Order: sequence, then structure tokens, then C-alpha cells
Amino acid sequence: MNNENYILKWFNGEITNEELAQLKKSEAFKNIEKIAHYSSHIDLPKINIDEAHAHFISKRNASKKVIKTVPLYARNVFKYAASIIFLLITSYFLFSNINTTYTTSYAENQVFSLPDNSEVILNSNSKISFSKNEWATKRNLKLDGEAYFKVEKGEKFNVKTDKGIITVLGTQFNVKERKNFFEVKCFEGTVQVSYKNTVLKLIKGQQFKVLNGNIDSINVFNTTNKNWLQKESNFISTPLMFVFDELQNQYGYKIQLNNIDTTKLYSGGFTHSNIKEALQTITIPLQLKYTLKEKKIIISKND
Amino acid sequence: MTEKSLCNENDFNDFYRTNIQFINNFSFYKSGNKDVSLDLVQEAFLKMWERCAEISYEKAKSYLFTSVNHLFLNKIKHEKVVIKYAKNTPYKDITNQNPEYLLEEEEFKIKLQKAIEDLTNAEREVFLLNRIDGKKYREIAELLNISQKAVEKRMSSALKKLRQKINIL
Repeated sequence: MNNENYILKWFNGEITNEELAQLKKSEAFKNIEKIAHYSSHIDLPKINIDEAHAHFISKRNASKKVIKTVPLYARNVFKYAASIIFLLITSYFLFSNINTTYTTSYAENQVFSLPDNSEVILNSNSKISFSKNEWATKRNLKLDGEAYFKVEKGEKFNVKTDKGIITVLGTQFNVKERKNFFEVKCFEGTVQVSYKNTVLKLIKGQQFKVLNGNIDSINVFNTTNKNWLQKESNFISTPLMFVFDELQNQYGYKIQLNNIDTTKLYSGGFTHSNIKEALQTITIPLQLKYTLKEKKIIISKND
Repeated sequence: MTEKSLCNENDFNDFYRTNIQFINNFSFYKSGNKDVSLDLVQEAFLKMWERCAEISYEKAKSYLFTSVNHLFLNKIKHEKVVIKYAKNTPYKDITNQNPEYLLEEEEFKIKLQKAIEDLTNAEREVFLLNRIDGKKYREIAELLNISQKAVEKRMSSALKKLRQKINIL
């Protein structure tokens, strides 16, 4: 049917006279003409050009701000980021030059030498920091936790803890500073301890101990007793809570106490090499029992 | 004479003012809603301004058509198209004042209007670009970025549907 083609041509305004004459003969053309006529009179929304343009300009300006500021803002962010990173890096190097830090976590010991060959053995869950650069003039270090010191003879050697300051010349001593617990044991030579307002000197075999802020009356210990350096912890009349704290430090287990009087005093020790043995040496004399589950210890009373 | 650029504020504004009505017509053929159609057009112009460097002045209209098309498809696919006739639409035979004839014509107009509303967007935009804006198939093809054959196909199927509906209704 050619009419289809003619109609298309007619709508496109490129029909020849002959073709149109033929098209006009067809019955359908009457409707086609009407369709063409009326469809061209469909009402269109009349655009108020000025209004639309003004609206467009304001929209454009609003979005321009956003577009233009994003890259600027982003560039500034990079600037800030760059300077912060620069500061972080430089300060990292500056401070790492000033302070050397040793840290141990649960069930971990560390042995290291200080710049003057003094020796430090750092017990579990402890931290020591000092300045290498100033070591020649000031032998100051900061301790958080427990450590054993073999100090070479020389200038004053200061161990600062949150609880007190220990000053020595050349000696061997142990400092233990834990939560609510502060203890200094002198193994050789003389150690001076400053605790709050009191200053006292310890000689070989003497100890200074503070529990919950109270200075302990016992001030001697047996230097031949095994201690943590020989993989054992020893306690003399020490409240149970500190014993369990230490157990936790040495083994890294979580300890849950069920109805236990933690102020009860304990004398004795436990090994650092076998958790079951250690638990038995603590619980049996105190008539307690323990359950060991994965990394958790539950202590409860014997039925 | 320097080449016109869409990044030039004056050129762009001239282009906007010359073409806004036409582009809006096209947008209206698609949406059949005058508020929506202008929103789409404004957004399309905005996009064009933002990307002015990438679009040649000659391709600007085609870009807008495509842009309106995409915006339309993304935003409002299923709204009902509503069209109407201009208030002073003359009858086909202006000399014929016979009431029977006038009534017949009014009925025809209603049928046609419904039939146009029911066309697919693709058919309607081609049909009305031709009928209202007087665009040749070749021009429409260029604007829509499709082949002239495709335009003719759309036109042909549009006409077929319109005739069918008018005969049935």
C-alpha cells in the first residue's frame, strides 16, 4: 500500500502533486487531514522567556558557587592534610629522638640496656621511657609497671613512677608499680625512695611497699627468694587481688572472681611457666577452686 | 568573526533565549505537564552550562534534547500525559457553521487528543515535533540523534495508532 508512504511524505511536506492527487482519492485521507490539522493546534505552555531566563541565571549562580567552591575546598583540604601529615612526621621523628620507649604486653618480658650499660628487665604489661640524648647528664626514666634494674655506677639514677621516685647511685633493685600497688625491693647497694612526703633509704634485703595507699609494715624480704626474673612471682602477706592481678599480667588470661574476698592476705608464689600449676599453688592453700576455659579463669569457693 | 561558544556568557544567553520555547515544547511532548517540562529544560540548560567546554555550539540543541530525554527517563517515567487544544483552535472547515458538523469536529478532537496522549513518548515527540514545530524528519533525526529511518518509523506507527483509535472510538 503506497498510501502509507504518501502520507508520510505529505506530513514531511515533500509530496508531489501527482502523489497528493492520488492520496486525496482515498477514503482515509479525510481523517488524516483532520489529524494533521487539529494536532497542530495543541496548546503548548508559553514560556515567558525573560522570567525563565532570570530564573535560570539565579539557579546557575547558585550552583556555580557549589561547583566553584568544591575544588577550592578540596584543594584546601589537601593543603591542611599535607601540613598535618608534615607536622605528624616531623614531631614523630623529634620525639622519637628524645624519648625511647619499651613496652611489654601480657605474658611478655623484655631485657635491654640503657645507654650507660645499666640493665633493665621489664616485666609483663609494663612500659619504660627515657631520653637517650639526655642520658649522659641525667639518668631519668619513667616506669609504668614492674622492672628490675642493675644500675652501673655513675650519676644519680632516677626511676619516676606515678606513685614515687626511686633514686640510686649504683645498685640492683626492683620497682613494681601497679594499680593501687607500689613496691621497691633493693637487691644490692642502696636505694632511695621518695614517696609523697617521705624519703627513705633501702639497703640490701629491704623493701618498701604501698598497698591501696597504705605503707606496708613489712620492710624486709629474702633476696634469695625466687622472683619474676626466675619466672616466678612471690608474695608476702599480700592481698589476693594483687596476686590475681599479677597472674593476669603474667599469663594474659581474664580472671573472673566469684564471691571471693580479695582482701585476704596471701603468702607464697606462682610459676610463670605453667598456668595450671600456678593456679593450684594459689587456690589450694586458700581452699578455692578454679575453672579454666580458653583464655578465661573463673575462681570460686570450694563447696 | 569568532566562533560562538557556549562558555561565552552572551552566546549562551542568546542561545537560551532563542531556543527555550522550542526545547520546552519538546520537553512538554514527553511529559505532558508544563511545570515538569520547564524544570527539565532548566536543568538540561544548567548541565549544558556546566559542561559548556565539551559541547559544540552546533550540537547544543541535540545535546539539550538528549539531556531532557535522560532527565525525563530518570525522573518521571510514568506520569500521565495531559494535552489540550488551544482555545481558539479553528475548525478544519472554517466556513461550515452547521451545528452537526461542529459537534462532529469536537468529537473528533477529543478522540485525537486521547489518542495522542496514549502514544508512546517516542512516537508522540516525533509526531508533535513534526506537527507543531514543523520539523522535517531529517531535522528531528538530528535533534534526537537517531536515523531518519527511525524517525519515519515512529511517525508511521504514530499515525497508524491515531487512525486506528479514531476509527474505533
